[in-house]
Parts: sequence; structure tokens; C-alpha cells
Amino acid sequence: MSEKSKASANFSSIPVIALLGLLSLPLVVMYAYLILDTVTNSEPGSLVPNEFTLEHWKFLWETRSGKSSIWLVTLNTFIFTCCITGVILLVSSMAGYVLSRLNVPARGFFLAGVMVLHAFPSVTLIISIFIVLQYIGLYNSLIGVILVKAAIDMPLGIWLMKGFYDTVPWEIEMAGIVDGASRFTVWRRLVLPQIKPAIMALGLFSFLTGWSEFILPQVLAPGSQVQVLSVYLASLIADDNNFDFATFKAVGVFYVIPVLILYVFFQKHLMNIYGGGTKG
Amino acid sequence: MRTSRTLGMVMIAPAAIMIFLFYLMPVVLTAIFAMTNMSTATGISGGAWQVTASAVNRLKTTLPELANGIAEPRFVIDEDGLKELEALKLKPGFATELRAQHIGGVYPSRREAERDIKALKDRPNTREVKQISDIFNRSVLNTRFESRDALMTSLDKLGFKLTPEQQQIVSDATYTGWVWTSENFSTIANSPDMLQILINTGIYVAVTLTLFNVTYALFLAVTTHYMPSNTASVFRAIWLLPRITPVVIYILLWKWMTWDNGFISLFLAQFGVPPKNYLLDSAYNAWFFVILINGFIGASMGMLVFSSAIKAIPQTQFHASEVDGASRWQQIRYIILPQLRWPILFVTCYQTLSLLASFQEIHLSTRGGPGKSTEVWSLAAFHTALNNYTGNLEYGLGAAMALVLVVVGLVLSLIYLRVFRYDTLISKPLIED
Repeated sequence: MSEKSKASANFSSIPVIALLGLLSLPLVVMYAYLILDTVTNSEPGSLVPNEFTLEHWKFLWETRSGKSSIWLVTLNTFIFTCCITGVILLVSSMAGYVLSRLNVPARGFFLAGVMVLHAFPSVTLIISIFIVLQYIGLYNSLIGVILVKAAIDMPLGIWLMKGFYDTVPWEIEMAGIVDGASRFTVWRRLVLPQIKPAIMALGLFSFLTGWSEFILPQVLAPGSQVQVLSVYLASLIADDNNFDFATFKAVGVFYVIPVLILYVFFQKHLMNIYGGGTKG
Repeated sequence: MRTSRTLGMVMIAPAAIMIFLFYLMPVVLTAIFAMTNMSTATGISGGAWQVTASAVNRLKTTLPELANGIAEPRFVIDEDGLKELEALKLKPGFATELRAQHIGGVYPSRREAERDIKALKDRPNTREVKQISDIFNRSVLNTRFESRDALMTSLDKLGFKLTPEQQQIVSDATYTGWVWTSENFSTIANSPDMLQILINTGIYVAVTLTLFNVTYALFLAVTTHYMPSNTASVFRAIWLLPRITPVVIYILLWKWMTWDNGFISLFLAQFGVPPKNYLLDSAYNAWFFVILINGFIGASMGMLVFSSAIKAIPQTQFHASEVDGASRWQQIRYIILPQLRWPILFVTCYQTLSLLASFQEIHLSTRGGPGKSTEVWSLAAFHTALNNYTGNLEYGLGAAMALVLVVVGLVLSLIYLRVFRYDTLISKPLIED
């Protein structure tokens, strides 16, 4: 990195920083006020806060009539997210290994299929999955929406895992085989430990997308017993009778905290995956 | 050979099952639903036969006489009605005489039926006449029949003698369930609304892609490249925030920014500009913010891809150019851009598909408004099939619109696989056991 700053020693970087700072201003303002507005009040029509308050956080200990308790919703979100992460990790670490190393029929076809699926418009799937879930009785249940969400994120998971398995040297496996281990043992004992960083990254990524997911739970499981935080917050915002940006933001901060914590601590891992690309 | 193959099949089975259940089956079902007129009104399981007022209206064009007949009340003296009459405990003579004289009689109108009832020997009074005639009212209007045969039998009993062709017409007009049809596709091809949505989608994808996902991402990557690394990572972190933030909160922030009690209005109020909802006050502003909202998310992917591509350029090229006195613009033009050709192509391809499929952000921010000015294809499919104000969800039409997207997505990604030399990505297994 020090090399790079030397490389542009002929020029000053101040103008570029100033320009980019200006362009980033809207984002900075939005996020600064997101935090600020939850703990302060300001005069109507003013942007400068004049008092400290915790009243916007009272949703934590008071359940508004007609809404579910925030803790039930948080528990739902947590279960939803953990299950998704588990399913994605399990399924894609196995499938990725097969596609990278094992000799199965139609391997290339499967891999191409996974790549095409990754680009699939999720709206197409939602309409028919909605009808299928209604048919088989999994509509409005967490299990249904967990399976669907895991399936939709799986192609990326398989693809990433395949890429990581590709970097594991063949010699490790060959050594295991020579020592008399089966292919399964080799995978379980020798290869999996090699790709721990990949499992970590994919796990993080699945947790974040699961935590943020909105449209699937909204369509497939809108009931109050299975509500997740995104749906809860959206329904708060959509309710015209209790319009209050500060409360929305407080719920939003409560909802976004786990994301920000993971983001701050594991930024490096995530940059890799987001560079590889997600939808949107 | 055998063992690794079996192991492979077992280990890939969960993925294959999930792909079958949640990708292949939905796609096939989407194609099937696209060929029906399924909606909330028809239900998703089968339907029933019911002569509603609207069914009568439909019949009026083809079988006007029959339609008028069905719409009228019909009176039939039958055993069921007679039993009911006896149970009413009026004078026993009514039932006995009706059974003896008029059993099986069919009257096309109340007046004719009541004339015969009035003429009974026991002289019913006016109230009783009305009561008796009601018992024999056998009109099919608004009665639900579980099967086609049940409808036809009761029509037959009422004295409507129908040919098989006429029966078919009546059955089609009165069926409340869904039927096979190709109407969805002709609607998509002919409706001016659809054309408008198509144009919207084109503008949305093209403008967001060129302005943000490629150009602005390139700008971010190049400018952060020319910064001290700490500053650069701060900016990268800021611009990754929109992607990392859950979409509901991200849109909430934009609403706070743009609504009439939001930041822009409050800020401009200091200079005496009256507050207004910048997100929804005009189609122009709505588009401006929709593109900004999606562009801010989209820019981060290009930024990361381009940044790592720039990092891969040998430093010596920059050193050499500086010694030769190249300006920054020349460095960008002759060193960076030529070596970013593939990443740019990749991002363009990838983001075209993502943008075509994305609708959450628009749904949450403008809902396609004001009016329908920011409605794009995937959002329209979603609104048609799963979420609209009228309450009649047209699964069939929505599925047809979604199918169009599936086909576009498939064709595009097959082309991309060609362009990016897919076959170089699979390597042969080295262990053959």
C-alpha cells in the first residue's frame, strides 16, 4: 500500500478526497441521523436536536396493541436466520465438493445450471412458490420460508464453495487416499479444515442476507406469530395512523445492530464475497 | 470409480432436491399457471358452477332467450316442494290437490304459478298463495352446483331443453373455477400498459447500469486507488453500507431524506422553499430517486470488482508512466481502462440480470408510483400476482409476466456463459478411484 501512495507522488490526493467526500455526504448524513434521531428530540422544522431522550426506544418494553412483541419477532428472526445459515452451509459445502472434485455424471451441466439459477429473477419463483406452499400447507410457517430462502441463496453458496475447494491442493487428498482413507473421510477430516475461512465467509454472508431478507417472509409468512424484524418494521412504516420517523429509526437501529457488528469485525471476509456479487 | 461416484451422488442429493423443489418445479408451475386465468376470484383448486348475474350477462350475447329464462324465477310443482308444504301445516287440501292435479307442472313465471294455486278448492288467502308459491320456486339463479351434471339436471327439470353445444356454452359461462387460456400472453402483447412498463424497465436498467453500476463504480474504484489506503478503505466502507443495510431500513432512510417532513424539505425550508414529498410529487423526481436508491446499492459491487482488478495491475506500469510525466487522466485512459475491459463486461452482464429482477427497493419506496410511472416489469408481475389494492390477485397474468422474465434471464445467462468461456471453469478430477 505504501508503494501505491509513492506511485502517485506527482499528484496531491486532496482534491479527489474532497470530491468523493462531497459525493458521500448524503449517505453519511442519512446514517448519522439514523443513529442521532433515535436518542434525541428536535424542534419541529429543525434539524438540530435539542434534548436527549429514550422515549423512541420504548417499543422494547411496551408492546403496541395489534403488534407482536419485539422480542418474539427478534427470536423469530434469529431462528429464521440461523436455520438458513445452517442449511446453506451444509448443502453447499457438500455439493461444492462434489462439483469441484468428484466424478459424477452431468457435473458440467449441473455447474452451468447452478450458475444460470443464480441469475434467476426471484419474482418468478415467488409467485409459484406462494401457490405451492398454500397447497402443501407450509404457507405462513417459518419452515416453508426458511427452505425457500435457503434454496434461493444456495447457488451462490455452491459456486463459492466450489471455487474454494478448487484451491485446495490435490496432494492432500492423494496422501489421505494412499493412507487408506475413504473419499468421505478425506473430505471430512482433511479437506474441510482447509477451507475453514470459506465456511466462515459463507456463514457470515448467509447470516447477513437471512437477517436482511424482506420480500420472502412478507409474501410467504406474513402472520403475526411468524413475523420477522424486516416485516415488522415494514408494517410499522406502512401504518399511517402512527407515523413517527424517530420510532421507525429506533426499531431500525435495533434491527441493524447485529449487521453492523458483523460488518465491522469481518469486513475483509465480506468484501471478498460481495465482490463476487449478489443480487441487487 | 464406483465409490466416488456413489459418494458424489449422495453428497449432491440435498442440493439437487432443493433445486428441483424450489427452482425447477416453480418454473414449470409458472409456465403452467401462465396458461390459466387463475386469480383470487377463481381460486387455485377447482371451482363450481353458479348462475350469477354476470354469468347471465355473458350468456345474453350467445343464447339470449335462455339467458332471460334463467334469470326469471321458475316454478315447478314437485314432490320435494309438496312435502315441505305438508310440513307447513296449512290446510291439508292444498297439498293433496296440487299433488293430484298439477304434479310435474312447470311455470315460467310467478303469476302463472299463483293463478293455479289461487284456483285450488280450499281457497288459500293472498298471504298463503305467496307462501305456497315460494316453496315451489326452483330458480337456479345464484345456486351453487358442485358438478356440471347437477347444473344440467336441474336446468332440465326446469324445462330448458338444451343441445350438447348449448350445454357447453352454459357450462363455460357459469363455471367459477380457473380454465386454460392463452389470453395472458395476448394481454401482454397488446395492452398499452404493458408497453409503458416495458419502456420503464428499459430506462431503469439502462440508466442505473450506465450511470451507477458501471460509471460511478469505476469512478469510485479509480479515485480510491489514488488515495492513501486508510482513506480509501473508509470510502469503500461507506459505499458498501447501502448493500449491507437491510433493505427495509435503507428505504426508510431514503424516505426520511425525501418526504415532506424529511431532510431535504426541512433543509430547504431554511431558505423559504415550501416542503413537499420529493419522492412522489412528480414522475421525474420519482425516477431520479429510484435510480439513486438502486444505483447506490449497485455501485458497491462494481467498486469492489474494479478495485481488485486495478490492484492486479503491476505497479511498475504506474511508476514508468509517472517517470514519463503522464497525467492522471493519461494513466486512467491508457493503463487502467484497457486492463479493466473484462471486469467491466462482467459487471455489465451480471448487473443487467440483477436489475431486471430487482423490485424490492422500488416496491418499498414508490410502490411504482406516482400513478404507474415507476412500475417496472418484475414489480408489475409481483403487483399483479401477489400484492395490489383491488384485492383480485391475478396469478395467471402475473405468472405469464414472470415467465417472460425467466426466458429473458435464461437467454441472457446462456449468452454470458458463452462469452465468459464457461468450459474453462471445470477441471477434470485427478483421483480416479
